[in-house]
Amino acid sequence: MANQVERAAGSIYDLGYRSYEGARLGRWHAITSVYTHSLRGVFGLGRHHSSKIIPFGLAIITLLPAVVQVGFVALAEETVDVLRPDDYYEFIQWPLALFVAAVAPELVGRDQRNRTLSLYFSRALLRSDYVVAKVAALATALLILMLVPQTAVFLGNALGSDDSLGYLRDNWKDIAPIVASGALLSLFMASVALAIGSQTSRWQLASGGVIAYFAITFVIASILVHTLETGPPRYAFLFSGFHVMRGLTLWVFGVEPTLAFEGDDGTLANDLALADVALILYALAAAVTVIVALLVLYRRYRRMAL
Amino acid sequence: MILALTLRQLVGRRPALLMVAFAALPILVAIIFRVADPDVSPERWAANDLLKGLIVTVFLPLSTLIFGTMALGSEIEDGTAVYLLSKPLPRSQVISAKLAAAWLPAVVLLLLSTEISAAIALQGTGGSSILVGFTVAIALGSFAYCCVFVLLSVLTSHALIAGLIYVFLWEGVVTELFSGTRIFSVRQYTLGVADLIAGTSDRTFEANLGGVPALVLMAVVSVAAVGVAIRRLSRFEVRGAA
Amino acid sequence: MARAEPRPMSSPVAAPTPAIDLVNASRWYGNVVAVNNISFTVGPGITGLLGPNGAGKSTILHMLAGFLKPSSGTVDLLGGSAWRNPEIYRYVGLVPEREAVYPFLTGYEFVLLSARLHKLPDPREAATRAIRTVDMEDAQHRAAGGYSKGMKQRLKFAAAIVHDPPVLLLDEPFNGADPRQRLQMMDLLRAMAAEGRTIVFSSHILEEVERLADNVLVIVAGRLAASGDFREIRRLMTDRPHTFTLRSGDNRRLASALVADPSVLGIELVDDRLSVRASDFRGFALAAPRVARESGVTLFEFLPTDESLESVFSYLVER
Repeated sequence: MANQVERAAGSIYDLGYRSYEGARLGRWHAITSVYTHSLRGVFGLGRHHSSKIIPFGLAIITLLPAVVQVGFVALAEETVDVLRPDDYYEFIQWPLALFVAAVAPELVGRDQRNRTLSLYFSRALLRSDYVVAKVAALATALLILMLVPQTAVFLGNALGSDDSLGYLRDNWKDIAPIVASGALLSLFMASVALAIGSQTSRWQLASGGVIAYFAITFVIASILVHTLETGPPRYAFLFSGFHVMRGLTLWVFGVEPTLAFEGDDGTLANDLALADVALILYALAAAVTVIVALLVLYRRYRRMAL
Repeated sequence: MILALTLRQLVGRRPALLMVAFAALPILVAIIFRVADPDVSPERWAANDLLKGLIVTVFLPLSTLIFGTMALGSEIEDGTAVYLLSKPLPRSQVISAKLAAAWLPAVVLLLLSTEISAAIALQGTGGSSILVGFTVAIALGSFAYCCVFVLLSVLTSHALIAGLIYVFLWEGVVTELFSGTRIFSVRQYTLGVADLIAGTSDRTFEANLGGVPALVLMAVVSVAAVGVAIRRLSRFEVRGAA
Repeated sequence: MARAEPRPMSSPVAAPTPAIDLVNASRWYGNVVAVNNISFTVGPGITGLLGPNGAGKSTILHMLAGFLKPSSGTVDLLGGSAWRNPEIYRYVGLVPEREAVYPFLTGYEFVLLSARLHKLPDPREAATRAIRTVDMEDAQHRAAGGYSKGMKQRLKFAAAIVHDPPVLLLDEPFNGADPRQRLQMMDLLRAMAAEGRTIVFSSHILEEVERLADNVLVIVAGRLAASGDFREIRRLMTDRPHTFTLRSGDNRRLASALVADPSVLGIELVDDRLSVRASDFRGFALAAPRVARESGVTLFEFLPTDESLESVFSYLVER
């Protein structure tokens, strides 16, 4: 390496290795970095185009019912409430479940598979920080998927009605529950999906496992409640991901589910009405599930040998 | 040999136990049904809720999906596929071995689950035709699903998600809404075959597709899927570093 | 592209010459050209594909092995194309670059699997022989998942030679091998080449190629930059002066005498040596001893100093 040599009016500069003298951002910065990186990775930003197709595709699918509703409003010239805000999540529950199933292995399986975890944990990042950042990232992604269509529907209804301000006046009370339910549901799905997905580095098993949870609990609980309408099986819905989500939403909105006239219109609200279990239990079940999921997730990383 | 190798790979210890546990769930449900003895005809319940609603709609596609996409997909993903492909073996042999390796564990688990749970639910009634019908249908349907999913794993590295979207969005939502699309759903084929063989009254169980069209479509889809998979595998390319 | 059947082998190691023949082979991915109009032939012996990372070596090897279709041109292996021709693998052994092996199989089982898939008449004997050849007898009954990188490499090699192929293709075979394993493998490859096999390996490590390859193919940015014996390549590089190092009884006197010779471009006195840049290798090699004798200076040492593959390579890469 050349040293500092002064010759007449010339200088030679030292272009060798330098140590870093700047500011060292701390743990908080590490957490937010993992968060942002994961969130971008969920949607395939910063990666090859093929990893954008599925997240964006499913995101578009979650928008479809909103498009239909707004379309109705635009064409029908009166507010037709095809979709109530608390209904909406039920319509898109399968795309949402597929979304988390697709994305969870990307978030937690990839690091395990490529063994890059030691890179993360040899920094100012605790295992709990990593877990929190990952869950927050997935929850944020889900929140976007849930709230964008809700906003579209709300605004569509407002703008499409004859009295926009009147619509807002009547329905502004819905905004808080919409956001709250979105946030809670996102947290629920994110923690469950990551808890399941982190158990294996093989991403077929991870994705399959997440969907298996939602699908199997849903169907078994439905069968039990529909066939055995009274008695202990009523509480089966407390174990079904989709039903818990629906019950939680209804609880947040303060709406009681009612039985449809024909007995079974296939909706979850109807299922819940059939089961006739207090809504607050669903909220509690959601909370318990989230806590268990987070613990499972944390335990997985704490015990992981790097 | 490829068959044995893949089976060893797929039926590893922990996933295998989980699979068995899952397969036991329908049996549990049947037991609960039996114990609670509700006011529903067992044949109707068994056909519609247990066999159609639970096994054919959820367990059949999920298990064939996982085994089907892992049979070849995991090797393509981690690079060990090259070892199998750099041997003087016709690609058709590779595909058929992988297909068998995916189908066997899936069908064994599914049939065990089906037989036991249905037997419990239908005990004492004359519903054996339902059992037979669904047994045949699930055996054939699982084969068709495996063909499709093995093809997917050759076509794309996102085979599992593609398969999930096919099963839960296409078969689950689209074909329910638009009856014309039912000819593109393996689930409908399976139910059609079950209906044909079970021969029950429409009050008990009714499928959307007739039995004969279902069988034909199932055969066509299976053969086509395998054919395309063989063709694609013989043109397998390794993209990689320079 | 004519699809010829591989010709029947008269002996396990004889191969029609040339064993490998590329004519204007190219491969592109959309706008990116990975291999650009490359033609060469390879016969028995050891040939090294040398090039920086990203130059196209792996692409060429994959095309040779039948795992990539050339976008244009022909790639012939043993008289036919390897693309869509699984039968050709009877005569070709491939050692891929990726590290993965089936972790749940033992080393022996893995090689045995390879032997069986090759439909050998006595797979167990072949497997045992292959394992002995790569010196893995101690570890053969352990699960391959627990092998070190170098052991996995040797295992892949055993699986590739179990069917005694006349052609061997190796992609970065010395990655992760410790020096001793590397030497063993090099000896092994030399022995196999001496039996008449055609061996092609790729590497970006000059030292390995220098030591092992009889013939070098230098690939830079998808193009064939040079081929042949690397010393000959050097001599062909006339637009770059050769350097020699001389040590003599009286360096200054020799230097002033040498400067008069037309083949000398420049001389430098470095410690107790003379560093001479000459335009003409042959000319200077003949002139220097003569000049020394005429000047009455004893010549102790005369070395061409940039005949290394490294200097050839860096020249070719920078071109």
